[in-house]
Amino acid sequence: MNEFVERLVDLRWPDHVRPSYDVVIIGGGGHGLATAYYLATRHGITNVAVIEKGYIGSGNSGRNTTIIRANYGIPEAVRFYQHSLEMYGQLEQETGRDLMHATKGLLWIAHSEAGVRQERARAEINTAFGSRTEYVDVKTISEICPQLDMTGQGVWPIYGASYHPAGASARHDRVVWAYAEGAMRLGVHVHQRTTVTGFLRDGDRVTGVQTTAGPIGGGLVVSAVGGHVTTLASMVGLRLPIRTHQLQAFVTNRYAQAFGPIVASSGLGVYVSQTAKGEMLVGAEVDRAPAYAYDSGHSFLRSCAFRSIALLPFLRDLRVLRQWTGVCDMSTDYSPVMGFTGVPNLLVTTGWGTWGFKAIPAGGEQMAALIATGRTPPLIAPFALERFANDRTMADRGSAGTH
Amino acid sequence: MRALERMLFTRVVATPAAIDRAVWPTGALVLRIAQDEVLAAGTVDLGAVPDQHAIVEPETAFCGAWVDHKSGIQFLEHACDWELPAERPAFAQGAVAGIPVKVWFEAERILFLVPVPFVIDFAERWS
Amino acid sequence: MTVRRLRIQCPHCGVRAIEEFLHGEIPTIPERVVDPDARDLDRAFMHTNAEGLVTERWFHAMGCRRWLTLTRDTRTNDIPERTTSYPPS
Repeated sequence: MNEFVERLVDLRWPDHVRPSYDVVIIGGGGHGLATAYYLATRHGITNVAVIEKGYIGSGNSGRNTTIIRANYGIPEAVRFYQHSLEMYGQLEQETGRDLMHATKGLLWIAHSEAGVRQERARAEINTAFGSRTEYVDVKTISEICPQLDMTGQGVWPIYGASYHPAGASARHDRVVWAYAEGAMRLGVHVHQRTTVTGFLRDGDRVTGVQTTAGPIGGGLVVSAVGGHVTTLASMVGLRLPIRTHQLQAFVTNRYAQAFGPIVASSGLGVYVSQTAKGEMLVGAEVDRAPAYAYDSGHSFLRSCAFRSIALLPFLRDLRVLRQWTGVCDMSTDYSPVMGFTGVPNLLVTTGWGTWGFKAIPAGGEQMAALIATGRTPPLIAPFALERFANDRTMADRGSAGTH
Repeated sequence: MRALERMLFTRVVATPAAIDRAVWPTGALVLRIAQDEVLAAGTVDLGAVPDQHAIVEPETAFCGAWVDHKSGIQFLEHACDWELPAERPAFAQGAVAGIPVKVWFEAERILFLVPVPFVIDFAERWS
Repeated sequence: MTVRRLRIQCPHCGVRAIEEFLHGEIPTIPERVVDPDARDLDRAFMHTNAEGLVTERWFHAMGCRRWLTLTRDTRTNDIPERTTSYPPS
């Protein structure tokens, strides 16, 4: 893919803010920019503004652990994430950018009988609904990842795993830039360092946003905000099934050997992969108390290091290079919330919790289709906000609060 | 440290006022683990607690070990991130080496009380 | 470099690291939600998720094993020490 590398990203920043746009998207992360990109490329809708309070990709799009997978636990999610995974596979070709997309395979490890049942169920459901995951025994596991301690330090023995060969990763900044570049080339306005402070209303209807750069009218307003969506929604009296939690991760210094797959364990609540630079990337579950803070804690580092070493003893000899925190919108049923809100002209794409990065292409494409046609595409219909009122929640053990 | 041994306590749950006024056996070890709850060594007579709704039940879920004051403090100083009490006698509870432990400080010696499921972990972390 | 440790002042046990406690929420349903079904829906699924000071419950799992009530700033995780109360108000 080296032919893509030489060309600098060509971001055409707007020199003015229009009084109004057909579509105003709040949030210049992956989801907001992908929505703008697909509006422009698939539907010819280019009178679009993306409003970002920091710089593009400065929120969770730049803080996630970049894992792409489709091995979810319910049919609706498997279909959606499989579509997104396939779109990622084409994205370098489509955008002409090297996104450092690499297929690595993902092992999800079971340390108990219950875990084995869960991983077997995952493999069956994935296969039945269009993704590919197989249950593998301990012998195959140690062939795929010889560094694993199959005894789990005598405490977390490995009984089996599900293996998802299509598990991949990509460079998060480059994904954000590729979408921003593609959207801006077609005339989408991206306004950085502009904060939304309120909504413009006409009766019930949302008619635009109030910002630090003045009022901006919008035919439709879409919240693609990460972390602060309930605060935004409360400005129009909208209640959402969302809590915001901190999620921490760290990378070590370079591990000299190649570490092929992505390794995850629900039992231990950690997942480990190797970055393109050779650092080992370790992430964990969200912190339990809701918070918007970006502080990183020593106790996380201690417990996460302890648990990851139980899986991969070689990590013991590495050093922690960086640690950081993102804030995740966790929905009540651990599935995303996409589409209409009940407030006329206001749409949301939220609840991306700890699984937002892998959903960027499909989330953006489907939201764009919804905006352009006014109808909810079948792929995302199960994820509508109204599912909570209709007793159709999408509780997914396959997402389970890690990556 | 010496092996942790099962200790018999009586768990008393009652109003804070009743616990303040309760008559405990002379010289008995009485640990105020919450405002409305004590662990008292040995057996306690129901009539000794002036609260008609008091719960008085035998409690066998703790193992304990007495250690000399110096080595107890030495261990606590690197196993706790909270401030140790200065007065004697004193009671304190909290995470010790990551384990929920109750500690009774006397002038010459210290009692460590560990819930039974953590006894092996605690003994390992002591060494 | 100093490592910031989050701590809670337990009214019975004293100041302890936040890891000794479990978090518990006090659900808040806005008064303007009056329809009983809407209130049930809100109680089951919706969250205020306040960005700022929240009053909440914490259980001192490794100490007195009692719930206490305190105020925490979700933007910073700061817990003004004097706001802890016990038993819960």
